[in-house]
Amino acid sequence: MSSDVAFLAEFSGGSPTHAALELAAGAAELAAQSKGSAVALAYGPGAAKAGALGAAGASRVVVLGDDPSPAITHGAAAAAAVRELSPIALLAPATPNGRDLAAALVGLLGLPAFGPVRAVGIEAGRVRTEQATLQGTVITVSEPTDGAEEPAIVLVLPSTFTPVEGGSGKADVAPAPASEAGALGAAHIVESHPAEAAVANLEEASVIVAGGRGVGSADGFVPLQELADALGGAVGASRAAADAGWVPYQLQIGQTGKVVKPALYVGCGISGAIQHRVGMQTAENVLAINNDPDAPIGEFADLFVVGDLFTIVPKLTAEIRRRKGR
Amino acid sequence: MVCIKQVPATTAEKRYTADLRLDRAAAEAVINPLDEYAIEQALRLQESGAVESVGFLSMGPEQAAEALRRALAMGGDDATLVTDPALAGADAWATARVLAAALDRLAPDVALMGMASDDARGSLVPGAVAAMRQVPLLSYGSELRIEGSSARVRRLTADGFDIVEAPLPVVASVTDQVGEPRYASLKGIMAAKRKPMETWSLADIGLSADDLHGSALTRVVETRKPEPKPPTERVENVGADEAVTRIADWLAARKLI
Ligand SMILES: Cc1cc2nc3c(=O)[nH]c(=O)nc-3n(C[C@H](O)[C@H](O)[C@H](O)COP(=O)(O)OP(=O)(O)OC[C@H]3O[C@@H](n4cnc5c(N)ncnc54)[C@H](O)[C@@H]3O)c2cc1C
Ligand SMILES: Nc1ncnc2c1ncn2[C@@H]1O[C@H](COP(=O)(O)O)[C@@H](O)[C@H]1O
Repeated sequence: MSSDVAFLAEFSGGSPTHAALELAAGAAELAAQSKGSAVALAYGPGAAKAGALGAAGASRVVVLGDDPSPAITHGAAAAAAVRELSPIALLAPATPNGRDLAAALVGLLGLPAFGPVRAVGIEAGRVRTEQATLQGTVITVSEPTDGAEEPAIVLVLPSTFTPVEGGSGKADVAPAPASEAGALGAAHIVESHPAEAAVANLEEASVIVAGGRGVGSADGFVPLQELADALGGAVGASRAAADAGWVPYQLQIGQTGKVVKPALYVGCGISGAIQHRVGMQTAENVLAINNDPDAPIGEFADLFVVGDLFTIVPKLTAEIRRRKGR
Repeated sequence: MVCIKQVPATTAEKRYTADLRLDRAAAEAVINPLDEYAIEQALRLQESGAVESVGFLSMGPEQAAEALRRALAMGGDDATLVTDPALAGADAWATARVLAAALDRLAPDVALMGMASDDARGSLVPGAVAAMRQVPLLSYGSELRIEGSSARVRRLTADGFDIVEAPLPVVASVTDQVGEPRYASLKGIMAAKRKPMETWSLADIGLSADDLHGSALTRVVETRKPEPKPPTERVENVGADEAVTRIADWLAARKLI
């Protein structure tokens, strides 16, 4: 056992994902509590040049693989690396790839798993996590049982940690210890279909203007995009809007979409179903515009405006531009 | 073989019986909503002839048999319930260990799961089962296909989608994009009563309570209420211009513009 804290660092298109930078900061913070160091397990295109994670908080980087294959195919390499490092905790992003690779470690090594969480700490050599349950009405604090092996696997929600800016640290980069990929390595990409236009990464946006069924059509999203532009943010959606084909599924917020934590969330024509709410309820400020005074979102928004979105949104965009002096 | 979990109905939408009454019994414990999409996917594969038979597997208390019976009313051929007093409070690792052992015995070409359970929300069980059984994982499919001796899923990426393939047998998980789950017909409900359901104990799948470290490697040490949020401010019964001024003032007060 060591007092190091490991984290999964996914790379994409040659650079670390935002989630990787967040977890680098988180692992460094926890490692300071356990008096160890932060170690990255890097995978995905660009991972071979993962030394840049040093500036983000990592002291060491172990490269699992730098191909675009699904993360779980690196399961055996990750397990070999974890066995060698024996960290006290391993942070994984609560993304599809992060969860799969974390699950492989749970299955291969028999480890306790926590989360998805918004808070994690190490006290007197013990990992403690905080998880919101029952629709956020109760917070449960959990820890590994006495006999459990280390590391504790912790799924961490987006925006739980803030990336370090302008760091100057350097990280040693080494390949993962040799291992047989085994059956988990057999899943492979046979076709790749990137989008024609860039799709916003909602997890990075500090302002999100989300549209639902009330927006009515793909064209209905144009004024929402203009409001998002005026606020310096991105457009998101409910499942109803994504299912209707008005926006790509990558913009869906909720249980089966993205979990976001922007400084400002603006919901337009969204009723606030529980499956949507779990994806945005920790936004710092929630503004909802809905023409139904009884819409459930009116029960948890910070500011609830009863009115027609098609009238209010363009006027609001104009007013924001005016106040910003543009 | 579709793995389904019975969960409390806290986040579920209201269900109706065949004669359109609110299903009160179902309002308490339901099939994990995302597992209904896995069931739907499996039944579509069976209807198209891509798979021969569809079975359901659940680990849970004895009442979980109700969830299996409800799945059988949607379609499929048979069901297996793994239930044992030693399993109370099982965590992701213990659940995966039990399902993996049961699947070793059932040996399906595809073990199909939902992308997440409503109560645990870890999305860890599919990958952990695949790792324990040493079979490939095809996860988060918005569609699953079987082609000859391999399986394929369509899987969302940051800006588009990939087609991911692996040789059978596989563990697969699917999202709510596979197509809306069907309702059980009255005929289906009647037929389900005659479909075979087996109940297995831990010993039946070659495990003992000791193998499961008392059913979990994690424990809850404390529960508390979150900080209360300030009440919602409402803007209503005012003209659009007034509403917009109030919104802009609110944004400015919070330094958002
Ligand atoms: C397993 C499962 C997973 C799910 N996952 C998700 C998920 O990840 N994300 C998600 O969002 N949903 C998810 N859902 C769906 C969810 O239950 C709701 O059906 C969905 O969120 C509703 O979307 P909506 O609010 O856009 O539509 P609706 O509920 O139809 O609401 C539309 C709202 O628009 C308002 N409106 C209409 N016209 C106007 C106007 N001119 N001006 C202002 N307001 C107007 C109406 O008053 C209404 O409140 C999931 C469901 C299931 C079963
Ligand atoms: N007790 C269980 N019995 C059967 N299947 C389960 C059980 N728990 C989880 N699963 C399956 O694993 C999926 C993911 O669950 P989870 O990892 O808990 O989010 C679920 O959608 C189910 O298909």
